[in-house]
Amino acid sequence: MTLLVLAAVALGFGLATIFIGERRRSLALAVGLAGSLAVLALALVMPDTDSLIVGGVGMVSTPVVRAMAVAWSASLAVLGLLEVAVGGRPTVVGPSLIGLAVAGLALATRDPASSMAALAAGGVAGVVVPGLAGWLDAPNMPSRLPTTNRGTLAILGSGLLGLAVIAWGASAAGPLGGAGAPVSVDPAGQLSLGLALLVMVAAVAIRTGLIPLHVWAARFMEGVSPLAVPAAFAWGSAAFVLVALDWSQVALGPDAAEAERWLIILLAMASVVLGGLAAMVHDDIEHVLGYSILQDAAVAVLAFASLDPGVVAAARNWLVASATVKTALAAWATVVRNTYGGHRLDDLGGWARHSPALGIAFAGILVAAIGLPNMALFQARTDLVTSAMPGIGPAVALIIAAMPAIYLGRIAIAGLAPISPAIAAGLSGRPRWTGGRAAGWSEGSLTQAIRAIPIELRANRAPLMAIGVLALSVMALLTATGGAGG
Amino acid sequence: MNLALVAIVLAIGAGAVLAVSTRDGAASATGLAVALLGAALLSDPLPSPAVLGARVVAALLVATMIRSAMRTGPRQPSPLGWPSEALLATAGAVAGLGLSVGLAVAAAAGGVPVGVPGIGEPGPAGPIDAGSVAVTSLALITAAGTSLLVLGAAPLVHGRPGSRRAIGLVLVTQAVLLLRIGVAGPAGELEEIAREALLVVAGATGAALASAAAGSMLGDEAGDEPPKPDASGEARRSLLPR
Repeated sequence: MTLLVLAAVALGFGLATIFIGERRRSLALAVGLAGSLAVLALALVMPDTDSLIVGGVGMVSTPVVRAMAVAWSASLAVLGLLEVAVGGRPTVVGPSLIGLAVAGLALATRDPASSMAALAAGGVAGVVVPGLAGWLDAPNMPSRLPTTNRGTLAILGSGLLGLAVIAWGASAAGPLGGAGAPVSVDPAGQLSLGLALLVMVAAVAIRTGLIPLHVWAARFMEGVSPLAVPAAFAWGSAAFVLVALDWSQVALGPDAAEAERWLIILLAMASVVLGGLAAMVHDDIEHVLGYSILQDAAVAVLAFASLDPGVVAAARNWLVASATVKTALAAWATVVRNTYGGHRLDDLGGWARHSPALGIAFAGILVAAIGLPNMALFQARTDLVTSAMPGIGPAVALIIAAMPAIYLGRIAIAGLAPISPAIAAGLSGRPRWTGGRAAGWSEGSLTQAIRAIPIELRANRAPLMAIGVLALSVMALLTATGGAGG
Repeated sequence: MNLALVAIVLAIGAGAVLAVSTRDGAASATGLAVALLGAALLSDPLPSPAVLGARVVAALLVATMIRSAMRTGPRQPSPLGWPSEALLATAGAVAGLGLSVGLAVAAAAGGVPVGVPGIGEPGPAGPIDAGSVAVTSLALITAAGTSLLVLGAAPLVHGRPGSRRAIGLVLVTQAVLLLRIGVAGPAGELEEIAREALLVVAGATGAALASAAAGSMLGDEAGDEPPKPDASGEARRSLLPR
C-alpha cells in the first residue's frame, strides 16, 4: 500500500513540476524538491515486503523495490537541491519523479506486460523534457531536436518491442506453449526460446544504448544537463533491464541455446570494452559519464547469457549500486562545469585542490565505482561475468573493474595537478562568510541575521554544491557496499 | 465471425488512412479519433464499463493533443495518396489474418487447445488442422493491429518531424497494443491502465515534438506547405502543447 501512495505522490509532484516549469521555474523547482523529499520519506517508511492485488494482478513490494526507491529518491532530493543551485530550466526532478513512480510499480507488479507498458510510458518524460529544454537553450544546435526524436523512438520502441515479445511468449504458439503448458524442448521450441531471448535483449540494447545502438544516447547526453542523465539512462535502464530479466528468467529459464548465449555475450562485451575504451580516451567529462553508464548496462546484460537463474540477484545489486554511483558522478560533473565553466580535462587542472570537498566526494565515487573485494558491487560484477563466462570470468571481471580506475583515475590526477588559471578564476570551493558578518551575526537583530542567510548561501554556492556531491558520494559508497538486497 | 467487429476493423482502417493521407488537419485528427475509438471498441465481449471508459478517454485525449499540435505546424499529407495508403492498410490486415492463422496452426500442431487465445472458434481442447480454422475476434484484432502498423511505420520512421510523425507514433503504439491482445488474449485491468497510459504518453510526446518541430521549421521546409498566417514562433518556446 505504501508503494501505491509513494507512486501517486511521485507522479503528482512530477507532473506538477513539468507543467509548472515552463512558466514559473522557481515554483517548479520548489515543488519538485518538496516532492522528492516527500517521496524519500515514504520510501524510508515503506516495509521491506508488502503485497496487494490491484486490477487482478499481484503487486509485491520487495527489498529491491525499497532499496531502489530509497536510493533513487534520496539521490533525487540532492539533485533537486543542485538543480536549484545551478538554475536554468527545471528538467531533472519532474521526469525523475515520474520515472521513479513507474519503475517502483513496474518492479513490484507480477505481470510483465503491465510492467513493460508502464516503463515505456514512464521513461519517455526522462528523455523528452530535458531533450526539448536542451534544444530550446541552444538555438544554434538544431540537431538536438532530431536527437530527442530518436531518443523518444528508442524509449517507446524498446518498450513496444518488449511488449511484443512478452505477448508472443504468452501466446498459444509462443515458446511457453500457452498458459500452463510446459516449455517445448523440441528443436523448434528451442529456436523459439532463443529468438524470444534475443529480441528481448535487442529491446534492452535499444533502451540502454548499447553499442552499436549508442549514437542517439551519446548525442542526447551531449545536449542535456548531466543531472538529467541518471534518470534517463542509469535508473530508467536499470528498471527496464530488471523487468526484462525477471521475465526471461521466469519465462525462459536457462533453456536458451548456446549460440544465443554467445551472441549476447558478444554484444555485451563489445559495449563493455568499447564503452570503457571510449570513456578512457575522451577528455570530455560528460562523455566519460555517458560511456561509463553504457558500460554498466552492458555488464548487466551478461545476466541474460547466464546459465544460473540466481544471477538475477547479482544483477539487482549491480544495477541499483551502479546507478547510485553514476548519479553521484553526474552531480560531480554538473558542479564542476557550473563552478569552473570547463568540461574538458585540459581545463580542469587542480580542481580537487581548489575544492577539497569536491575532491573527497570524487574519491568516494572512485572507490564505489571500482569496488573492493568484499563490497556488494564488486561481488555482483564478478558474479555476472563469471556466470556468463565460466572459467575466464574472474579475470575478465578484474579487467572490467580496472577500467573505471583508469577513466576516473585520469580525472583524479587532473584534480591533483597544479591549479590552472581557468580553475583559479572559478568560484572558490572553500566556505567563506561575507554579508553575514557585515549584517551583524552577533550584534545585529534576528531579522538582520535571517536576511543575511540568502546572501551567505549565494556566496557559498560552490562549497554547498560540493557538499551535495559529497552526500551523493557517501550514498554511492553505502549502496556499493550493501547492495540492494538482491 | 462477428459482423460488428468486421465493421469496426474497417472503420479503424478507414480512419487511419484518412489520418495519414489528408492535408486537412481537422480531417486528419478526426480520422485518428475514429481509428483510436474503433480500437477501443474492438473487443468481444466488450470490457467492463470502467475499462471501456478509460480506453475511450485515452483515445479522445490523444486525438485532441495531436490536433492541438497541428495548429502551428505545416501540413504534411501522405506523398503516396489515400488510394495507396488504403491498399497498404488492406494488405496489412490480410497479413494480420495470415499471421493469426499461422499462429493457430502452429499452436494446434503443438497440441495446444485452440480458441483461447488465437484463432478458431472456442471448443473442446484438442488439436485442429488448418482447414478447420475460422476467423475470431482475436484474429480481427490482429488484423487491425497489423493494418495500423504498416500505416504508421512509414511516417514514424521516414517522415519529417511534425504532425505526420506524431500520427505515425500513435498508430504504431496502438498497433502493438492491439497485436498484444490479438496474439496473447485479453489484458487484465491493471494492464489496461498501463496500456492507456502508454497510448496517452505516445500522443503527448508526439504532440510536443510536433509543436517543437513546427517552431523550428517555420518557413524553411521546402516540401511542406507553409503554416497558417497566425502561426508564430511561440511554439518554439513551448515544452508542451497548449
